[in-house]
Amino acid sequence: MLINENLILLNSNAKNKNDLIRDLSILANNDGKINNIDEYIEAVLKREREYSTAVGFGVAIPHGKSDSVIEPFLAFARVNDIDWDSPDGKPVDIVFLIGVPEKDAGSLHLKILANLSRKLMKEDFRESLRNISSKQELLEFLNKSELGF
Amino acid sequence: MKILAVTACPTGIAHTYMAAEALEQAAKKKGHEIKVETRGSVGVENELTEEEIKEADAIILACDTAVPMEKFEGKKLLNVSVSEAIKNADDLIDRAMNANIYKSSNNNTDNDKKTETIKKEPTGVYKHLMNGVSYMIPFVVAGGIAIAISFLFGYDSASNEGTLAYYLMGIGGGAGAFGLMIPVLAGYIAYSIADRPGLAPGMIGGMVATQINAGFLGGLAAGFLAGYIVLAIKKYIKLPKNLQGIMPVLIIPVLGSLATGLLLFYVIGTPVAAINNGMNNFLMGMSGTNAIILGAVLGLMMAIDMGGPINKAAYAFGTATLTAAVGTGSEVMAAVMAAGMTPPLGIALATVLFKHKFTKAEIEAGKACWVLGASFITEGAIPFAAADPIRVIPSLMVGSAVTGALSMAFNATLAVPHGGIFVFFAVENLIGYIISIVAGTFVTAFLVGSLKRNIEELAVEKK
Repeated sequence: MLINENLILLNSNAKNKNDLIRDLSILANNDGKINNIDEYIEAVLKREREYSTAVGFGVAIPHGKSDSVIEPFLAFARVNDIDWDSPDGKPVDIVFLIGVPEKDAGSLHLKILANLSRKLMKEDFRESLRNISSKQELLEFLNKSELGF
Repeated sequence: MKILAVTACPTGIAHTYMAAEALEQAAKKKGHEIKVETRGSVGVENELTEEEIKEADAIILACDTAVPMEKFEGKKLLNVSVSEAIKNADDLIDRAMNANIYKSSNNNTDNDKKTETIKKEPTGVYKHLMNGVSYMIPFVVAGGIAIAISFLFGYDSASNEGTLAYYLMGIGGGAGAFGLMIPVLAGYIAYSIADRPGLAPGMIGGMVATQINAGFLGGLAAGFLAGYIVLAIKKYIKLPKNLQGIMPVLIIPVLGSLATGLLLFYVIGTPVAAINNGMNNFLMGMSGTNAIILGAVLGLMMAIDMGGPINKAAYAFGTATLTAAVGTGSEVMAAVMAAGMTPPLGIALATVLFKHKFTKAEIEAGKACWVLGASFITEGAIPFAAADPIRVIPSLMVGSAVTGALSMAFNATLAVPHGGIFVFFAVENLIGYIISIVAGTFVTAFLVGSLKRNIEELAVEKK
């Protein structure tokens, strides 16, 4: 399972993207998905510096490919609008943090992330994410969305 | 219409697919047929076949990594970044229809190898430069035009306190827009390198560069210094979590600005002052030599750093000859002003003649350069020189040298220290003077046009 209820923050109070990335990374760390949190965060921030992973429409998908990732994971947060250098200039309120091991090309997980990325470009998918009220509901919704979990 | 696209991003995890989705949605909305090849970490999916490429009306490459191009030979090809496709897919579909035909020049394989190696170089220097320059341009234009308007009231009316010309100079000149120009350039170079924390050390560094009279080249140094210093601070200074809040508000601004500023004062400041001194002495030693050679040398000096130590030495030498030649006007002053008018004029002409060498913003700024050049506001050329110093500065220098030498050869004289065309009444042998300026302008424009690379090539290199 890429995502589980330990990897979800429905109402994060993070004030900026660095805090949020750290908060979600801590969840992944506690859930045994990564073995070196600093190294993982550095990989995510390094990717972030190349250019922002905010894609517009209030969505950002920070991600890191690193040896510190034990198994691929997806963490989700809904957050009060934070600035993420988004290409459309809008603040971000939906964040998926993605972790992938350095040597994991061509696997099923990457396919799922690719599907997720495509889904995020669809308005109704984003709206559903904004309206979901419980972790369980979110997991069910993602399962239903034919991402290939 | 039949459109093909390829999307690829460095990590190949998300943006590749978002861009593909965005392009598919946009094409469908407009009723076009589309197929998108994705080159992500899953590997190449949905690969385009030769048959499909043959039938396609246009190709869109939304890639931040190198992709083989030879199979698109002879097709309309639009080459953009991944984020562009996510952001503006609708737009790209329209632009692809009017895109240029892709040609890999003479030797296919060689050229492809070359583009691939160029693309892989992760030098963001060009990107950082362009970021600084794009923020600087409005300051140069606003300041330059304000100064030019103040000249309308007479070249020295700005010295009368309380007049409109005085206030215009206050808005445009060194205490206003022109004073911000170098700090903004340096600040936004640093911002591009190190994000928001880079801005303050960069701007402060730019201010220091101005204080030590290091001109825009000093500003470039300040920007890059500040940017990389802040990156280093972020990387090497680790605070316990409960103290991390003071990094952006205390540690980075203070340490970053001090390190940048002190380096500039101690390492750059001394040689800059020495250069200025050396140049002054050098020019003093040149009085009495061949006038045409002196004119050419002054031209080279006026254009090399536009406001830096060398330019200042040449200008000071010009004004010194004025005091010596009361009432008659000075040939040296005339050559100095003409050579200082040529850089912006030459750039302005180049943006008209060689549009494909300039970005949209540069072409617009080029229009203002006509006014700035005509007003002897050499700074108008700075954004162009800062964006591509190695190609642009020599072009400006040669053009100005031609103008300076010709102005001397025609024995043109000038009785006032500045003002551009507004003081042409104070020029003797005006016809020869104008010929000198026009000649240098053309030389500069053609050199810039032939040395600068096309914008598309640069866009490729940027990746």
